[in-house]
Amino acid sequence: MSETLGRKVKISVDGRIIEAEEGAILLQVLLKNGFEIPYYCYHEALGPDGNCRMCMVEIEGKKRPQISCDTFVEEGLVIHTNTENIRKVRREILELQLINHPVDCPICDQAGECSLQDYYMEYGLYHGSVEKGKKLHFNKHLDLGRNVMLDQERCVLCQRCTRFTTNITQTNELGIVWRADHSCVSTLPGRKLENGYAMNLVDLCPVGALTSKDFRFQQRVWFLTPTPSVCHGCAKGCNIFVDHARLKYHDDTIYRFRPRKNPDINGYFICDDGRLSYKALQTGRLEKALFEGREIGFDEAVRELKKSVECTTGRIVILADANLYTEELEMIQIFANRIGAWLYAPLESYIDEKFADEWLRNAMRAANAKGVEKLGIATTMPEIKRDTLLINFNHPVADSLDVRRRIDFLTHAEGPETGSRADLTLPIAVWSEASGTLINIDGLEQRCEQVIYPSDPVPTVIRWLEAYELGERCIV
Amino acid sequence: MREVKIVSRRFDIPGSHTLDIAREHGAYEAVERAFDMGPEAVLNAVCESGLRGKGGGGAPACGKWRLAKEHSDPTKFLAVNCDESEPGTFKDRQIITKDPHLLIEGIILTCYAIGAHDAYVYIRGEYYGFQKILQGAIDEAYAAGILGEKTLGREYRVDVTIHRGAGAYICGEKSALLESMEGKRGHPRLKPHRKEPEWYFGRPTLVNNVETIATIPFIVKEGPEAYRNYGTEKSPGTMLFALSGHVKRPGIYEAEFGTPMMAYIEHYGGGIRDGMALKAVIPGGASTPVLTADEARSANLDYESMRSLGSSLGTGGMIVMDESVDMVEALKNLLAFYHHESCGQCTPCREGTGWVDAIVASVLKREADVADLDKLLDISWIMNGKTICVFAPAVSGVIDAFVKKFRAEFEACLRSHV
Repeated sequence: MSETLGRKVKISVDGRIIEAEEGAILLQVLLKNGFEIPYYCYHEALGPDGNCRMCMVEIEGKKRPQISCDTFVEEGLVIHTNTENIRKVRREILELQLINHPVDCPICDQAGECSLQDYYMEYGLYHGSVEKGKKLHFNKHLDLGRNVMLDQERCVLCQRCTRFTTNITQTNELGIVWRADHSCVSTLPGRKLENGYAMNLVDLCPVGALTSKDFRFQQRVWFLTPTPSVCHGCAKGCNIFVDHARLKYHDDTIYRFRPRKNPDINGYFICDDGRLSYKALQTGRLEKALFEGREIGFDEAVRELKKSVECTTGRIVILADANLYTEELEMIQIFANRIGAWLYAPLESYIDEKFADEWLRNAMRAANAKGVEKLGIATTMPEIKRDTLLINFNHPVADSLDVRRRIDFLTHAEGPETGSRADLTLPIAVWSEASGTLINIDGLEQRCEQVIYPSDPVPTVIRWLEAYELGERCIV
Repeated sequence: MREVKIVSRRFDIPGSHTLDIAREHGAYEAVERAFDMGPEAVLNAVCESGLRGKGGGGAPACGKWRLAKEHSDPTKFLAVNCDESEPGTFKDRQIITKDPHLLIEGIILTCYAIGAHDAYVYIRGEYYGFQKILQGAIDEAYAAGILGEKTLGREYRVDVTIHRGAGAYICGEKSALLESMEGKRGHPRLKPHRKEPEWYFGRPTLVNNVETIATIPFIVKEGPEAYRNYGTEKSPGTMLFALSGHVKRPGIYEAEFGTPMMAYIEHYGGGIRDGMALKAVIPGGASTPVLTADEARSANLDYESMRSLGSSLGTGGMIVMDESVDMVEALKNLLAFYHHESCGQCTPCREGTGWVDAIVASVLKREADVADLDKLLDISWIMNGKTICVFAPAVSGVIDAFVKKFRAEFEACLRSHV
């Protein structure tokens, strides 16, 4: 097959002629061309398995309907995707999926993004044939470990999860136990999900069987707005959707991260640490500027900043966080030049070998380390003297430096390490509240748009520095 | 009726499972002859004999053999399917208990013909005692220099290993069998799109039923014409037919293809027991559609005759049912088996077998109505031809035959008749 892959051939689908690569998986070709084919077990990352039998199409010359996930494109195929017979097949297979399904949509986290619901609306719309009391029952809350819960009753046995642990992570924690309609997914005896990518199973599951312990019962998915962005958990730059909502009486809130397909970076998946890193964006945040322990407003903060900088006769050192966007780093660079400061962004302190693996998790845990290097900012540790004024833009190493005078721009109130010891502490926006560019560890540049628009926004680095530029010169 | 014993030749000799007695009666004579003929000639003999697989499908053995032999990978395997789990079928166990050396001889010939050196016999877990007899024979063969580095002094290595299954019916499906042998869950594989051998750990593999392999020594020794002397043009040779149910002498009796079914039942089974009338016959293991008494009277024991009656010869395991049988109960009994044994891989079979079992149970309890009978046929429709393997289509055929041929009995059980 591989030797012919790549040759373009013509096939006819529902009377439309489409061009496709010879040997390509028919289901994938159909989906790409906008045909609606229902399926459970097929997944681009996992390949066909052929167990759900939903993706059947009619192929002229074949006596029986064929599953399109196990049909390969060849010249002159004539395919019908929506005949009466095919609709009947889909309808009845869906009915089989549903006979032992608990239909507990009102309390199911998958409701709203569930293949069973979607296909029922498209092909089903019948009354249940099996009385509620006669359905088979299984474990409804099996803790698989690693933030994943399993509801065996909702499962359609598509085996995406078992194939993920067998073929992708190769950790083999999951398997199918029992046979026939008693089959269910389970961890092998005495084992739990142990890999750092386990929460991808929640996305892979086409129904509500695998749910995230973190997200379950938190929010209805139809209230969520998915905004594309990039994970800041490490330098890999995995593409994500940030699912957030601004509900009545609440501020714009992030409920979860989901992986966004990017074949050049993360493929279809993200790691669990990255996925859960959204929590830090909305807890323990520094919201107000503090001067000598007292809350002050924006204008006063700018004045105090200006006063401190302009009255300094000694050396000024600026530390910049390598998680900041390139644009923000550039602005800091200009600021440093203007005030004659030494600018550093030490990268060593971001290295975490324990976090790294051979797949997506990178030891460099700063999202824009390459951006720092590209801008030519010094990545070594600065030399600090007792009379040095340190201006710290959220760099984790700042607290370990022995310095008398210090101005902190921080995202979090606690400070990245032990807490701010500065006289002047200024809040800055986290990445989801700003926009800019990141360069990942492989040198790929990615644009991130602002995701969250809080009703009372914290100023971004750029806003602070612009205000500094525009502010009146301090006269001592 | 012409009696013939090809595979069952040594079955009645006391102690025939031991090497000495088996050799006294001609075991391993074909090996010498095969080595003189050369592998190509052995394969040609099998092709010319028209031998058809005895595991249920009835496809000519020749095609599979050639695919395995002609594959460019020099490492090939032979897997012998002894996962005999089909209700009504018990022929393979006769071979491995009564004449295991015939099977070993067949394995040597087959390995030699296709160029394999390692053979595996996949035995269902429940055949524990029978497996020990076969293992004893294998040990004897190793000790006598029949198996191992040299085969009867010739430079050809053949090793035979027994692999015990864990008792799953589906592992008799050849690809599920190989999955199971690879240490995975016994789920059938997707069917290939072109003709290709089976694969065991990525190597070309031939999978054949025990009886098929046990027929090879005769074909090699006596020649393909001798085999074609028996049977019909399209179904040449003989088969070990199993007889169970309401006959006077149930058992395994070898007969040539084309024998009229009733003549066989009368001759070997002694007719229906207790002077009852015949009601139905399941012709080839539980998975073949049931025949009514009239159909059985016109049936011959060959593939073509069975196909013309809308059934199949299957494994040749006949279940004879007399007039005392309640067909609804009989179907429930079969469906309980399929419900228990469906591997659960694809949806129509996984959910369908349970559902039809429940519907027939409700018919028996007088809790169903006509709509449920139609639903039964509807589910049977979706189970037919829409799954990975032939398990569900077989169940579908069973349901259709029972409900359509004996509909009156089912209707008599409905709620409205109480």
